[in-house]
Amino acid sequence: MMHIHDLTLTNYRNYDQLHLQFDDKINVIIGENAQGKTNLMESIYVLAFSKSHRTPRDKELIQWDKEYAKIVGSVYKRKRSFPLEIQMTTKGKKAKLNHIEQRRLSDYIGAINVVMFAPEDLNLVKGSPQIRRRFIDMEIGQIQPIYIYHLGQYLKILKQRNHLLKDFRRNLHADRTMLRVLTDQLVEHAAIIVEKRFTFLKLLRKWATPIHEGISRGLESLEILYNASLDVSEGDNREKITSIYKQKFEDVEEKEIERGSTLVGPHRDDLIFYVNGKDVQTYGSQGQQRTTALSLKLAEIELIHNEVGEYPILLLDDVLSELDDYRQSHLLHTIQGKVQTFVSTTSVDGINHEALAKAELFKVKDGAIMK
Amino acid sequence: MYYPEPISKLIDSFTKLPGIGPKTAVRLAFFVLNMKEDDVLDFAKSLVNAKRELTHCTNCGHITDQDPCAICQDETRDSSLICVVQDPKDVIAMEKMKEFNGRYHVLHGAISPMDGIGPEDINVPSLLNRLKDEEVEELILATNPNIEGEATAMYISRLVKPSGIKITRIAHGLPMGGDLEYADEVTLSKALEGRREL
Repeated sequence: MMHIHDLTLTNYRNYDQLHLQFDDKINVIIGENAQGKTNLMESIYVLAFSKSHRTPRDKELIQWDKEYAKIVGSVYKRKRSFPLEIQMTTKGKKAKLNHIEQRRLSDYIGAINVVMFAPEDLNLVKGSPQIRRRFIDMEIGQIQPIYIYHLGQYLKILKQRNHLLKDFRRNLHADRTMLRVLTDQLVEHAAIIVEKRFTFLKLLRKWATPIHEGISRGLESLEILYNASLDVSEGDNREKITSIYKQKFEDVEEKEIERGSTLVGPHRDDLIFYVNGKDVQTYGSQGQQRTTALSLKLAEIELIHNEVGEYPILLLDDVLSELDDYRQSHLLHTIQGKVQTFVSTTSVDGINHEALAKAELFKVKDGAIMK
Repeated sequence: MYYPEPISKLIDSFTKLPGIGPKTAVRLAFFVLNMKEDDVLDFAKSLVNAKRELTHCTNCGHITDQDPCAICQDETRDSSLICVVQDPKDVIAMEKMKEFNGRYHVLHGAISPMDGIGPEDINVPSLLNRLKDEEVEELILATNPNIEGEATAMYISRLVKPSGIKITRIAHGLPMGGDLEYADEVTLSKALEGRREL
């Protein structure tokens, strides 16, 4: 099964130098607050995705007054063991897969699969649409790296297009022919992104619905809907989506020029979750929102297992204590023995599950680890 | 100030070149100090001459020491065929191939609203004038295969299409002599899209 065998951190956040070997089942990282638990979890996330879930600025990952930071891990996937390496300097970063530098992120991401469940994920349901888009984009990206390429292209064209739309407002010689060229380019990638999101949602739903029913002891049924900024529906193929988008962009051209920004597209879409027919974001209780977030994360694990053929590595950063006993044991029961899991917590008291009894314990104190 | 002024000025000048950082600049500057005086003079002259004597061809925009450039003056070349490129270096690359016998048009960049570069800021207007004045049958768009290059090609094609001139775009795909298995997914999917019947 997929796992990280060992990890070496150099100048990473509050770790000068750290070398750890992990158990391939459950690893528990215990420590007081502000000792470096989350930093350790984050480093595994960065090793998988080449960027942090906490900050868009890579510089923050480099220890204060140091020139660079390095994360090296030897990982095991598809019966092969290979090293991954992320190196960050103040000028940029390098990602190496099996000692070879990967220029495109899409060639690196997906080398190992990681699912992170952190307290901020409890906001997945009630937080801003951006959080949900990020969730869906990261998950598709690690199953299908080419998605990251299309998303990157899309965002770049979007930036060009928004600049041009602003030029119209400033009466710089902006011309409509150029606007339509950028629209065509944008639509090409938008249609691919939306189509891939639809396919992903279908899979996510397949796993999340029964899981949610299980966690809620059969009391709640979960539905997930794609809320598009225009009239596309989930059965539509790429050609159909393309033509709907083209028509819509023609219709809103004047309005876009007036407002000076791109008004429709996958960058404005959202997910809506319904529990027992009610929108959980608006009408759900905090418990329902948490259950929904948990169902989605557990569904992700199953989904990756199904698509990639192996279970991903699971990072549970300070969330076990946030869940009630029933949800806790449901979670631990689901992953037991088949998913390499990293659990960070201030204390193991109160988490009485057999899964933790055999776990490898790491005590963190001020950037150092004692076994 | 660790260096005497003449050498620190030289170091500064080298740092202005692309790809040269402070360390390399110091190494190059000290190398120059040890060069023969004649070689240094030649070097300095070439720098000045390259800047002073080269201009852009008023017809195609390529760098040249005579106007119009040698390619535009060459009567044996096919003037009904124009290949549009972004950069003078692209012309050199095409010429090395010795397969293309048409003329060129150098845009000197690509359209990028983000960087404040519109069609008027690159050689698009002069291209349109050429198409009016010359008997052109085919326009080959050989801008770079990235977002800006692609957008520029699409833009030119939209403007020129109504005139009935044949417009073609160079192919995207696999490098020759390479292995299919090592191609990245994006290139591979482009190659598949551009497949042709045998």
